[in-house]
Amino acid sequence: MYLNLLINTTLDVIKVLLPLVFLFLLAQWLFIKLPRDYVANVLKGLAISFVGIVIFLYGVNLGFLPMGKDLGESLATIEHRWLLIPFGFAMGFLAAFSEPAVRVLSNQVEESSVGYIREKLVLYTISVGVAFFVALGMTRIVYGIPLLYIIIPGYALALILMWFCDSSFVAIAFDSGGVATGPMAVTFLMAMAVGIATGMEGRDPVIDGFGLVALIALAPIISLMFIGLFYRSRDKVISDEVKDNAAGDS
Amino acid sequence: MFTDIKTIFWEVIRATLPIIITVFILNLFMAGIPPGQLLQFSIGSVCVVVGMTLFLLGVKIGLLPMGEAIGSNLPGLRILPYIFGIVFLIGFAVTIAEPDVVVLSSQVGTVSQGNIPSSVLLAVIGTGIGFFMCVAILRIILGFPLTYLMAGSYALVLILSFFVPPDFVAVAFDAGGVTTGPLTVPVILSLGIGFSSVLARKSVISDGFGLIGLASVGPIIGVMLMGIITG
Repeated sequence: MYLNLLINTTLDVIKVLLPLVFLFLLAQWLFIKLPRDYVANVLKGLAISFVGIVIFLYGVNLGFLPMGKDLGESLATIEHRWLLIPFGFAMGFLAAFSEPAVRVLSNQVEESSVGYIREKLVLYTISVGVAFFVALGMTRIVYGIPLLYIIIPGYALALILMWFCDSSFVAIAFDSGGVATGPMAVTFLMAMAVGIATGMEGRDPVIDGFGLVALIALAPIISLMFIGLFYRSRDKVISDEVKDNAAGDS
Repeated sequence: MFTDIKTIFWEVIRATLPIIITVFILNLFMAGIPPGQLLQFSIGSVCVVVGMTLFLLGVKIGLLPMGEAIGSNLPGLRILPYIFGIVFLIGFAVTIAEPDVVVLSSQVGTVSQGNIPSSVLLAVIGTGIGFFMCVAILRIILGFPLTYLMAGSYALVLILSFFVPPDFVAVAFDAGGVTTGPLTVPVILSLGIGFSSVLARKSVISDGFGLIGLASVGPIIGVMLMGIITG
């Protein structure tokens, strides 16, 4: 079983990585024409990535997915189902807070705002945002609420908020959608949600089990727009004061 | 290279350890998980950490420079159909190689018992990204405001969502969430920045930003259309 899984994983990874290798060689031959040692580095990187993806997916298939699913299925049978909601909050916070991409983004926001918006503020806002949305996702599974009832108001809120934020902030916010959907969230939380939906009576694993990743992707967009909104209104207060002062002077 | 490995390794540990510890704690309180599976999970966790470290190292050594080289040379091709063809292929190839995307599509394939085949889903997600990357590049060339394009695409998503069979709704939105990973983001960004700097307009930053957000709408629309057509 272990060997079979390894062989299947390797074949899958070859299948998904081949187009990239072909494309690079084609581009190199047609128009980029990089020096030879540069090409050697790219191929070396591709080879290391190949081995990495194989080992990673092997570990995911061997450990994370079955464990997530089984834990989910036994969580589905607990007596007080509502406990899954605070549990989801904690898991969401943990996943976002420990995700390196969220830290990178928080740091970028601080830098691009010249230190005006603190890194820690961004980190905590996104983590609480993700926690809130994973809790919502659990609520949805526990009570069988369709995903659209949450995702449509969510995106509508994002679309409304974006008209009140600076356009550069809107771009950063939408780009940040994926920051919290790291491998941990995708492999573990997704498998667990599918497990809960499988184990709970009256829930469909495909309809109710999926959707958590989508909510984790929506959370940072809305969180960042709220920060953008807050700082903009503060800016406005400051510039109004300046204007008032100027008017008083003249 | 070795300092790189060390930095990446600690980053991976920091990202994975909280979840691994949580699983062990949950196992203490929950009955019904056989000890053999906990052992399997431990082996799996080691593989995940080692594999992730190697993957990110490879991205840094090889795939990032590759994306930058293609991105900065692409505008020099000058013939738009060629440019769009290659942008599409890059988007497609990079996305289907992203580990998160592979995990999602194989999970969907398994859970739906083959009703949504994983290889078709993978191809649809890749096509969605490729197509929307072309849209994003076109936006940079034409100088169309990002806000309008973003509002338009999400409005389309919201309208489509009423016609999509329920099986595909959650999968479609999930597909939009997984596509931005450690492999796609740097390649898409370097393409966008390469383009903006060659076109040398006022704002490289605000042109380069927004590409990823826009690109991730592609798979949502793609999977929704897949659902409407097949479902």
